[in-house]
Amino acid sequence: MTETAFTESEERLALRAAVRKLAGGYGRDYFVQQARSGGKTTDLWLEIGKHGYLGINIPEEYGGGGGGIGDVAAVCEELAAQGCPLLMMVVSPAICGTVISRFGTDEQKRRWLPGIADGTQTMAFAITEPDAGTNSHNITTTARRDADGWVLNGRKIYISGVDEAAHVLVVARTEDARTGKLKPCLFVVPTDADGFEYSPIPMEIVSPEQQFSVFIDDVRLPADALVGDEDAGLVQLFAGLNPERIMAASFSTGLARFALDKAVAYVKEREVFGAPIGSHQGLAHPLAESKIEIELARLMTQKAAALYDAGDDMGAGEAANMAKYAAAEAACDAADRAVQAHGGNGITQEYGVAGLLVAARAGRIAPVSREMILNFVGMHSLGLPKSY
Amino acid sequence: MNIVVCVKYVPDATADRKFEDDNTVDRVGVDGLLSELDEYAVEQALQIKDKQADDTEVTVLSVGPENATDAVRKALQMGADKGVHVVDDAIAGSDALATSLVLAEAIKKIPHDLVVCGMASTDGGMGVVPAMLSERLGVPGVTLGSEISVEGETVKIRRDGDASTDTIEGSLPLVLSVTDQSGEARYPSFKGIMAAKKKPVETWSLSDLGVDAGSVGAGAAWSVVESTDARPPRTAGEIVTDEDGSGAKALVDFLASKKFI
Repeated sequence: MTETAFTESEERLALRAAVRKLAGGYGRDYFVQQARSGGKTTDLWLEIGKHGYLGINIPEEYGGGGGGIGDVAAVCEELAAQGCPLLMMVVSPAICGTVISRFGTDEQKRRWLPGIADGTQTMAFAITEPDAGTNSHNITTTARRDADGWVLNGRKIYISGVDEAAHVLVVARTEDARTGKLKPCLFVVPTDADGFEYSPIPMEIVSPEQQFSVFIDDVRLPADALVGDEDAGLVQLFAGLNPERIMAASFSTGLARFALDKAVAYVKEREVFGAPIGSHQGLAHPLAESKIEIELARLMTQKAAALYDAGDDMGAGEAANMAKYAAAEAACDAADRAVQAHGGNGITQEYGVAGLLVAARAGRIAPVSREMILNFVGMHSLGLPKSY
Repeated sequence: MNIVVCVKYVPDATADRKFEDDNTVDRVGVDGLLSELDEYAVEQALQIKDKQADDTEVTVLSVGPENATDAVRKALQMGADKGVHVVDDAIAGSDALATSLVLAEAIKKIPHDLVVCGMASTDGGMGVVPAMLSERLGVPGVTLGSEISVEGETVKIRRDGDASTDTIEGSLPLVLSVTDQSGEARYPSFKGIMAAKKKPVETWSLSDLGVDAGSVGAGAAWSVVESTDARPPRTAGEIVTDEDGSGAKALVDFLASKKFI
């Protein structure tokens, strides 16, 4: 294939093909079976880790692949496109892996990155709080200096995969010794620490990966649990957000592709009035629209990843927000159209399409809401006054 | 030890496969890939390499059109060390005899102790090239191995037949073919994919091999495909309804008529 700035490299395409085949061997049935039986996707997680697909974006010296966010995003998308979306890919290698790779000390990188890269020591990420959702300036989880370390207190909500994680990267605030103001800091907390508790939040999403409320009660941490620089917490936090959005976009485009593939296969086979229903424009056109929306979202996602990997954090920010927005919209539409194309079958468990509605819908809310992206574009891209 | 793995670039078996007007396989208009059955050969070669203490080198060899480089590249991503791609317009339409001639002449130019092949291609599916290669190279042919071990100069395989299981040994140099029971082929790792970019692939033509263009290709083929028909669509199965207790007998009669029982 001709390679241009708008197409992916031969290696990226080979990576996609390899992941597609591996994930296809597990397939949607495996994923749903694990979700409905309370099982986990650990086998798949460890297998992608073993082949180096998980920690692609982590430096080679710490057990990763030395690739970029575009590579790990491609893995995330292909998994979802095979019906096995793994949410912890967004969190463990992309957010936590990026923050620690960029800002951790050598010792911290040696300790945490290899396990993130091969999937044996997954790291969750905890920022959202009951009273600090979209407004992360309201975070009240605090870290107090103790004789030889820190004492952490607070509460977190909607934290993904805590039960499968060895550690959680917790966003807390510390008191600036000079000004007395609170500033954000990042701490790595072992999930088995004393005073660290979590309970699942029942969700309507069909996934083995669960959401948790987290209670942090006088959790004592050593001094080196603080990632990087105490004074640069905000910068470090923002560094993880572009990868998060690029991954969330890829998660959505993968889900959208899976929904569209199912719909297309169905309308080719299903016959009513003596012809496949896909021959009717009333069904063909919405699916064609989805194809267009998905490809546009994928293109913007790849642009965001290319800018991020080239070191342009600012440029990547706008593209990553737009990609996440477009991908979530494309996924919601694709899931809705897939259900409609299936008729009554679309809302049965047997055909497995209805479950995609909620999963796709989550992309409009997390990790950042559709409305906050529109605010961002209004303010930063269009120069409109701030509304909040 | 030097290992050569012969791989074929074939139309993706999951896609719509077509024939050209002259009844040869359309290798341009459809997506192609490394034949799945040859992935097993690459896998066995890599496993042998992994177990050898010395500096074993695996060369992957493919005869095919321009796009066949994709098959070579895939094998390099899996872990083979270097590639050779024989490409020449005159080769198009070659039958198994001509294909084995080109492969054999290429293999002679590559240092080799062991030649590994898949059991057949997923397109032509004749499964005769490994035996032809052993004849042309004048070395033993140990074919259809489902379990392979190499001890020193001896290659031992288990060949599973309908009525018996054979253990067959041969001494290097030899041609080995492996079945789809020999062990799952590995997925290329991310590092393997990136490393393959830098691995050398040589491109040879018929003149590089000293093969006369008139001895290969459609014109020199000993066999010709006269015509092809698409597989007929699957017909509806027979449904046995059991209203009076005769269902079981009807099922048994059906199975017996198909010689399943």
